[in-house]
Amino acid sequence: MSEQEERQIREALRRSFPPVDTELRRDLWPDVLRRIDTQSPGVPWYDWALIAVMAALCLYAPRLILVLAYHL
Amino acid sequence: MDLLERFAQGEIDAFETLVRQFQGQIYGWIVRIVRDPGVAEDLTIETLWRVYKARGRFRPDASFAAWARRIATNLAIDYLRTRHSEQALVVEPAGRAGADLLEQQEMQQKIQQAFRRLPAKLQVAATLALIEERSYDEIADVLGTSVGAVKLRVFRAIRILRKRLRHLWTNSGVSEVER
Repeated sequence: MSEQEERQIREALRRSFPPVDTELRRDLWPDVLRRIDTQSPGVPWYDWALIAVMAALCLYAPRLILVLAYHL
Repeated sequence: MDLLERFAQGEIDAFETLVRQFQGQIYGWIVRIVRDPGVAEDLTIETLWRVYKARGRFRPDASFAAWARRIATNLAIDYLRTRHSEQALVVEPAGRAGADLLEQQEMQQKIQQAFRRLPAKLQVAATLALIEERSYDEIADVLGTSVGAVKLRVFRAIRILRKRLRHLWTNSGVSEVER
């Protein structure tokens, strides 16, 4: 590839993509805050582990369901 | 306590101060890559949200701006990957009239289309190096790669564009862009 070709492509790109306005016109903080607020809190791993242990126990001893139902 | 340390510990007030301080910079960086103000605003919000989510991994002795810019660049690359390749920018005429102007506009649209069909990583490297004239060092830093890799991406982008657009220069300006 010759330097002339490279220059030709550079110039063509600059003509085809005029400079953009890089100034931010509004404050984005309210949107960011809304985004943070709507973020659904993830279930921590230990909660999943607890659910798995309880499910396993219930399968092993089904009568445990009645005990759990009484306490919950 | 330092502002960055307070942010890393999850203080929302510290984050608000940082957002107000850096949102313009982040937006300016993203809009240079995606070249669409609406999209750039959305990606800036997404970037700031991700920055907040990842605050636990931020080292207070590091540069907040550089870290946020890296996250922003990755998001912009993801956006370019998913964007419809046919979407073309509307280029304002430079003041000339008649058929010559139409021909020029058509040529610019073909160049845009060819550019937008480049792989996202090549597109970002080429945008920053060729259109925005950023240094290879700076580009390598935000892309998290070496200067050599950036040069290679730019070289590959130019080679692909040259192949796709060679008819534009050989056939008096307007012809089909290679598929």
